[in-house]
Amino acid sequence: MRHLVQAIALACCSVLATAGSSAMAQETVRIGWLSSLTGPLSSAAIAENQGVVFAVDEINKAGGILGRKVELLTRDTAGDPVKAVNLAQQLVFADKAQFIIGPVNSGEALATVPSLARAGIPNIIIGSLDELTNPAKYPLAFRTINTNTQWIAAANAYAIDVLKRRKVAIIGDTSGYGTASAKAAAALLAKAGITPVYSVLVDPNKTDLTDEMTKARAAGADVVMPWSAATGLCARLLNTRGDMGWDVPIVGHPSVMALPLKALLNKPSYWGNTFAAGYVSTTYRDGKLPERTQALMDAVKPALGGEIGFTFWWVALGYDSMKLVVYAATKADSLDPQKIKDALEHTSDYAGVYGTYSWSPTEHNGFPDSGMAMDSADTFNEGSYQAAPR
Amino acid sequence: MLSVIVSGLAVGAVYVITALIYNLMYSTSKVLSVTTGHICMLGGVFGAWFTTVLGWPVLPALLGAVAIGTLFGVVTELVAVRRVLARSDEHLWLLSTLALATMTQQAVGLWWGTEPRRFPRVIPQDFSHGAADQKFWLPIGVMVVAALGLELFYRRTMWGKLFQATSEDAFAARARGISTDRVRMMSYAISGALGGLGGFAAGQLTFAYFALGLTLTLNGFIAIAVGGLGSSVGALVGGLALGLLSAFATYLFGGEFQQTIAVGLLMLVLLIRPEGLFGARGVRAV
Amino acid sequence: MRRLAAGLAIAVALAALPSWATNQYQVHLATLIGVYWVLIAGLNLVVGYSGQLSIGHVGLLAIGAYVYAVLAGTWDWPPLLALAASGAAGGLCGLLLGLPSLRLPGFYFAMATLAFSLIVAELSLAMGSVTGGGTGLAVPGFPAPFDTPGGLYWLVLGIAGIVTLLTWNVASRMWGLALIAIRDSPVAASAAGISIFRAKLTVFVFSGVTAGLAGALFAALQSYITPDTFAFDIGLFFFVCIIIGGRGSILGPFLGTVVLTALPEVVAPLAKLGNFFYGALLLVVVLVIPEGIGHLVEIAAARIARRRRHESHVVQPDLPRLAAALARGPAA
Repeated sequence: MRHLVQAIALACCSVLATAGSSAMAQETVRIGWLSSLTGPLSSAAIAENQGVVFAVDEINKAGGILGRKVELLTRDTAGDPVKAVNLAQQLVFADKAQFIIGPVNSGEALATVPSLARAGIPNIIIGSLDELTNPAKYPLAFRTINTNTQWIAAANAYAIDVLKRRKVAIIGDTSGYGTASAKAAAALLAKAGITPVYSVLVDPNKTDLTDEMTKARAAGADVVMPWSAATGLCARLLNTRGDMGWDVPIVGHPSVMALPLKALLNKPSYWGNTFAAGYVSTTYRDGKLPERTQALMDAVKPALGGEIGFTFWWVALGYDSMKLVVYAATKADSLDPQKIKDALEHTSDYAGVYGTYSWSPTEHNGFPDSGMAMDSADTFNEGSYQAAPR
Repeated sequence: MLSVIVSGLAVGAVYVITALIYNLMYSTSKVLSVTTGHICMLGGVFGAWFTTVLGWPVLPALLGAVAIGTLFGVVTELVAVRRVLARSDEHLWLLSTLALATMTQQAVGLWWGTEPRRFPRVIPQDFSHGAADQKFWLPIGVMVVAALGLELFYRRTMWGKLFQATSEDAFAARARGISTDRVRMMSYAISGALGGLGGFAAGQLTFAYFALGLTLTLNGFIAIAVGGLGSSVGALVGGLALGLLSAFATYLFGGEFQQTIAVGLLMLVLLIRPEGLFGARGVRAV
Repeated sequence: MRRLAAGLAIAVALAALPSWATNQYQVHLATLIGVYWVLIAGLNLVVGYSGQLSIGHVGLLAIGAYVYAVLAGTWDWPPLLALAASGAAGGLCGLLLGLPSLRLPGFYFAMATLAFSLIVAELSLAMGSVTGGGTGLAVPGFPAPFDTPGGLYWLVLGIAGIVTLLTWNVASRMWGLALIAIRDSPVAASAAGISIFRAKLTVFVFSGVTAGLAGALFAALQSYITPDTFAFDIGLFFFVCIIIGGRGSILGPFLGTVVLTALPEVVAPLAKLGNFFYGALLLVVVLVIPEGIGHLVEIAAARIARRRRHESHVVQPDLPRLAAALARGPAA
């Protein structure tokens, strides 16, 4: 009887195993899209998804890539690195994806980038941690978003050169992103000759930040720099600063100006004296946005329900990342990974909406320093911001 | 320093309420339910939902949160405890309450979101009061009321005596005509109500957060294990001690070792005095 | 003889999986199932046989993974040696965890293991200089011939096979019966002379060793580990695999592992529900089929084989005969 049961077990395994595969048509270009549509960082992922989907529609209406329609394979990683690796493997081997965009979450990307590199699939990186690109280790990975260093450098430059502060308090979170950023921020400050007077990592779900802010104040900090992608944590930080009645400027990660914060603040005035790293492409200059940004906004608005109630550069990033695949394939006139790599490595000043990109054989980060800007947090208007005062 | 003590007492008060709930449920069913912390979580989440999303005023929202808590307590009893107690296998209730707790936590996470969300002000008050802020004193107040209320309940009311009878000897109670099923249901309902109230009061301290359930289950358990299962005084002492210890440890060493210190306390007490500080050493005939 | 032949056939089929799998993703999935099974096989003895409800075993998995990542990566040890060290580390931590906790009653023990897994998660964040903190660690793979997906699969298969054999031996011999006795009636067991604490501790340490090995293999498979990889959810998942599969059997939890790992990959909406699904499944099993689905499969298989189940003999009084005997009166 036992061996019969064992045979049934084997049959179950085989059925389940083979059920994972699927027959694919060869006529489409299959692009895998790994994003955390549920779970942490879902608001960014959902907005980026809007950009990606819109771009796919636009591309297919214009005839597709090299005459073939684009088939978008969206996979929700839910912020789980194990799932992200599994889904990446599934996309590459079972669904035969030819490009992978994502994942959004740096923690997941740290796990998938090596595995996709081993599989030899071009990977468009949209996570900001510096370690995600490496021309030697990951030859087929190209980044469209800015690097973490660019965010930190922009914020540091503003705090030190414009606001003329020297006593910095760094508050990061214990996620993969937060830990790496806090360390990088301290390193960049050291290069400018500044040692932080207070530096701490908190759980992104920590609800009471009074201890940390009190200690920062006691250490004599004259600027607080948060490096966390968790909007809830940023809101609590702003609330603590306001409740304490401490008028220290907060300069840091773009989450500090994300719209969801508005509903989380105890008082709207708490959003004042707060500045975040932003982009030229989504900053108002004399009341106007750059042409390309405005054009994309007008085109996408109907699909978003007529109004843009979230940070627009996410949409622009998703859009640009998808269009980059078309650009690379067209330039290389092929879908062969090596030819794509060559095409991208010899690209300079490719004008997207989110930025104007350049890559080279030694530099796989495409976003230029000149694309960075500093914005005032409480000036949200249809996805973009006013520049921070200089 | 004062703010550290006050916040420690406030967090401790939440643990005390959870520990009292453990006691209540254990008294009539000999079951330690994994869903204990989740009752408080639901009180906080639904309180926030009623006030911020549905726009109800504070009092109806409070009643709503208490009602939800009671409902959840009853559901726990019906689904996870009643059928399982009928079987002789000792451990099944742990599995069923664990399953129910997981389902509740995940369902709330899917519906409410995975980030801690703001809990609104209950009493109009400025934000600048520091240690006198209501987010500290509401849980402490509820804890005192709950502890006193339960004592009065046990000693002065008929139902309280029924609870005590059932907890001391269920067979004898049944022989005297007490419907132990109904008593158990009552105790779970009261636990649910208390948890809903506690979660609502603590909402400003803990925020409306789906993962709070498991944290409170564990910490409330540490409180009752340290203080002694079955003793209200033990619940008070255990909860407040744990709260103060966590607050001071976080203040002195940073929040990085919070769990380690809390469990360290637990292990220490359990090694020296396994039944807790105020618990009774159980002798069982075999 | 037939059982041996069937067993060999299955072993050959499993070993040849990289050849008959249609793509590398399936090999990856099969390797993941194998890794989970290495841990669950050991945990099965603790949960399924001796009835100690350890819900926090993910802590031991994390320890195995980090020990391997640090030894083989940062300190450059030979990977196979690091693998063995991970197993030893897991066993040691199992001993340290089990010594104070195994004497505690059921709920207390479960909470202690839960607290342990939370402590491990906390320490892996706090000890950033060793563990890389939130950023995590890159994990080197094994040397040839285990550095290809197929090769890693064979390594995992081999270790899983050995562990299964060990647990099967324990379960079917006197040890296994002793464990079941401890689970179902500790008082009777100790009255029969079984040293309860020693048995529970030995089994727990063994499960620590398998968890450590599984952790190292898991880390090599993932090639990158961060603290969020080892959330409490995985610990619950292992536990559910065993309960659903059925306590007191080896095949049941194995089936449970295969089904629960593969299911979210195959049925996409389930992936979104995630833990809710596991909780619901656990609740249904506990309320309706406490013996587990493995038991159901056995009943079904027995029906198919049309073998009569062992019927218990209830002694009923044969009343007509009794009446006749009474009527007859006492024998002369």
